[in-house]
Amino acid sequence: MSGRRLTNVIRTLRFHAGEMTQGELGEKIGVTRQTVAAIEQGKYSPTLETAFRIADVFEVPLEQVFSWAEE
Amino acid sequence: MMAYREKTAWLAIAGMVIGYGLLFAVAQVQGGIEAMTVQRFLLLFAIASAVRVLIELAGRFGLARQAGVEAGVPADERDRAIAARSATFAYIVLLTGMIIVGMIMPFSAHGIAIVGAALVAIVAAELVRYLAIALSYRLGWQ
Repeated sequence: MSGRRLTNVIRTLRFHAGEMTQGELGEKIGVTRQTVAAIEQGKYSPTLETAFRIADVFEVPLEQVFSWAEE
Repeated sequence: MMAYREKTAWLAIAGMVIGYGLLFAVAQVQGGIEAMTVQRFLLLFAIASAVRVLIELAGRFGLARQAGVEAGVPADERDRAIAARSATFAYIVLLTGMIIVGMIMPFSAHGIAIVGAALVAIVAAELVRYLAIALSYRLGWQ
């Protein structure tokens, strides 16, 4: 798995969801605003449960939220 | 923007550097730890710890007022994960220190040197824990 990192499109999904804020998303999935920011910046990989919750909020498949990218 | 828990970690580091730095400076001026009696060293260590605690208490009060609601928010999964991993690092440092103090030093040192080394190991473990917390928030953790 070397040379690849996990990326996400949460910020884009938030924008298209009525410009949802990080804090609002955090409340919906049970984490702090700072954790949402860390996830978006790739500084933290959420647990599987939280990842599924994020996908549920935006009503999209998990693989549409998170994907592998070459470093 | 720095998270509240990151700020408190840096505050703890600052408190330890100031408190125990003063202890080290005083000890050096007085001819080193080996020149002290155990009682004097422990007294100075207690004073250094009190300085550190006061700095942290005052600092946390100020940070909590500044943070407002954020200061009272319960830890989430990332906070708990960072805390757990940092505690693991600190445990390794503490365990190493205790092995050195308890199993190696008795054959080559005694008295104040062993006491001092034990306290250094405890302080080092705490420092490692808070550094790991602060850097995990600052640099990210995967």
